[in-house]
Amino acid sequence: MAPIKIVAATGCPTGIAHTFMAEEALKKAASKLGVEIKVETHGQVGVENELTKKDIAEADGVILAADKDVYAYRFHGKPTVEVSVAKGIHEAEELIQTIIDGKATVYKAKKSDTSDEEEKEASEKGNNNFAHSIYKHLMNGVSHMLPFVVGGGVLIAISFLFGIHSANPDHESYHPIAAMLNDIGSLGFQMMVPILAAFIAESIAKRPGMVVGFIGGLIASNGGAGFLGGIAAGFIGGFIIVLLGKLLEKMPKSLNGLKSIFLYPLIGILFVGVIMTLLVEPMTAINEGMISFLSNFQNANPILLGIIVGSMSAFDMGGPVNKAAYVTGTALLGEGNYYFMAGVSAACITPPLITAFATLFFKKYFNQAERNAGGVNFILGSTHITEGAIPFAAKNPIVVIPILMIGSSVSAILTYMMKIQVPAPHGGFLVLPVVTGAIQWIIAILIGSLVGAFLYGFYKKRSYSKDQQSKGSENDGQQIA
Amino acid sequence: MDSKLLNKDQIKIKQPLTTQKEVFQQIAAIAVDQGITSDPDEVIDGLLKREQEGTTGFQDGFAIPHVQVDAIKRPAIIIVSSNSGVEWNALDGKPASFFISLLVPKKEAGTTHLQALASISRMLIHKEKREVLASAENTTTVMEELAGAFA
Repeated sequence: MAPIKIVAATGCPTGIAHTFMAEEALKKAASKLGVEIKVETHGQVGVENELTKKDIAEADGVILAADKDVYAYRFHGKPTVEVSVAKGIHEAEELIQTIIDGKATVYKAKKSDTSDEEEKEASEKGNNNFAHSIYKHLMNGVSHMLPFVVGGGVLIAISFLFGIHSANPDHESYHPIAAMLNDIGSLGFQMMVPILAAFIAESIAKRPGMVVGFIGGLIASNGGAGFLGGIAAGFIGGFIIVLLGKLLEKMPKSLNGLKSIFLYPLIGILFVGVIMTLLVEPMTAINEGMISFLSNFQNANPILLGIIVGSMSAFDMGGPVNKAAYVTGTALLGEGNYYFMAGVSAACITPPLITAFATLFFKKYFNQAERNAGGVNFILGSTHITEGAIPFAAKNPIVVIPILMIGSSVSAILTYMMKIQVPAPHGGFLVLPVVTGAIQWIIAILIGSLVGAFLYGFYKKRSYSKDQQSKGSENDGQQIA
Repeated sequence: MDSKLLNKDQIKIKQPLTTQKEVFQQIAAIAVDQGITSDPDEVIDGLLKREQEGTTGFQDGFAIPHVQVDAIKRPAIIIVSSNSGVEWNALDGKPASFFISLLVPKKEAGTTHLQALASISRMLIHKEKREVLASAENTTTVMEELAGAFA
């Protein structure tokens, strides 16, 4: 029988002493009991001896001896023992024995553990490997692209403050500063598709992929194939390099340098260039078709679009479904469609505000911690940080998420119906000065938030009254309505 | 090993210490003498706060009180042992008498020192090392034993 393999992660708040004592204790116990162990330490210097996906996959069990977050969601589905760092030091042998005896329980990642690390989450879940790796590559591109969109978008938006045509030298409202801001911001937007393509390809095939993806993205961008073309260029570029790697495998190792500096870029760029040049025309047609479809939707059926966008945005608050709506919004911003994003933003701002208003109006049905979190959510919501609502949703997702979805949908529907334009992809109410129809937008969001808040409040009230009836105690002196 | 991290003057064994407070005062006094800090009170406060978060008492009379505050100018190890046991809420319930104190500046960026401190912590896991340290009669023995941790 192969020796038992264990992976462990240790960590303590200060990260100076106990982290490493636990590491040593576990290693010592492992060698005594004849098992293989790899220990990742989360100390003051950062994470050392990091566990790879392969390590985790091959391990028979996991020991978490930590008093801080050691990214435990990575161990989803593994037999795991989770203890304090002190136990890791003093009961190392018992912990290992638990794994050997197969008595460890299977670790289940909590939803809230994973929300901020969507890339890792995506690669961890792994039941659908192919789809997830596609998603991971895509998100790598998107996460590198976003700063360009945000920086460029906000600068362009600021230039609009001088007047919507202020960057046009032939227009009477022309202003040189506006023109400059607009030029700078536009550069950011122009980089969007190439960067998206470059980093999708980089995720697939490392640096050689990035080069090829970048060129493919530029072709897509210049040809008008937009972000769909960029996505295609990224994947094509990445896979060209992967394929080239296979073909060139038999070349002598001594030529490795030549490969990466000469062959990969040359052959890769040639191929991606030819393929993208051929693809750019049909892609452009598809891209334009989709954009006009969406903008028709905006005009023809704002309610349906609002429901879709609102539900998607509130469904997983920063997760993949939310991101899908968000990425579409940013992509359309790049195409000059500022209507779509307005609805997405409204729908993303609403969930935290729902919880904030609910804790304000229905104070006594929330505990102190929830009230505090609710207060903070006024700020988080106002700055487009949907994740603020997660702690509330996590407590009772089956009820709370639909409520948030309803609220977000209301906000998005009203936003689309009032034809509000938001030219910035993030920032919440901070970008109000550049929003066309700012007041209406706030009203739309407030209505959605209040609808959600009252639904949530009444739900809390009902479950609170039920609690009171069954417990009949812990009444903090307030009357039940 | 970096002589500044630990030198003989930073080791004082068999001291007449009976309370946690006295141990911390002794550590802070050494830190002032050695130019590690000019604010002994902040060091003592930091050590106390760390103890409140959870005992640093280990086992067989060993404890590793540590602190990371602005008032510490350079990373250092200070070793104090007491000739009687001091109550430390150690996990094995035994009083502590051998204190390996790790002092780290708030802005410590270099990783070498932190790694050295980590090595000391690792060393204490091993019973035979603990026995040598606990029975050391003079600072030289302690010094040599710890130097081994970095080899």
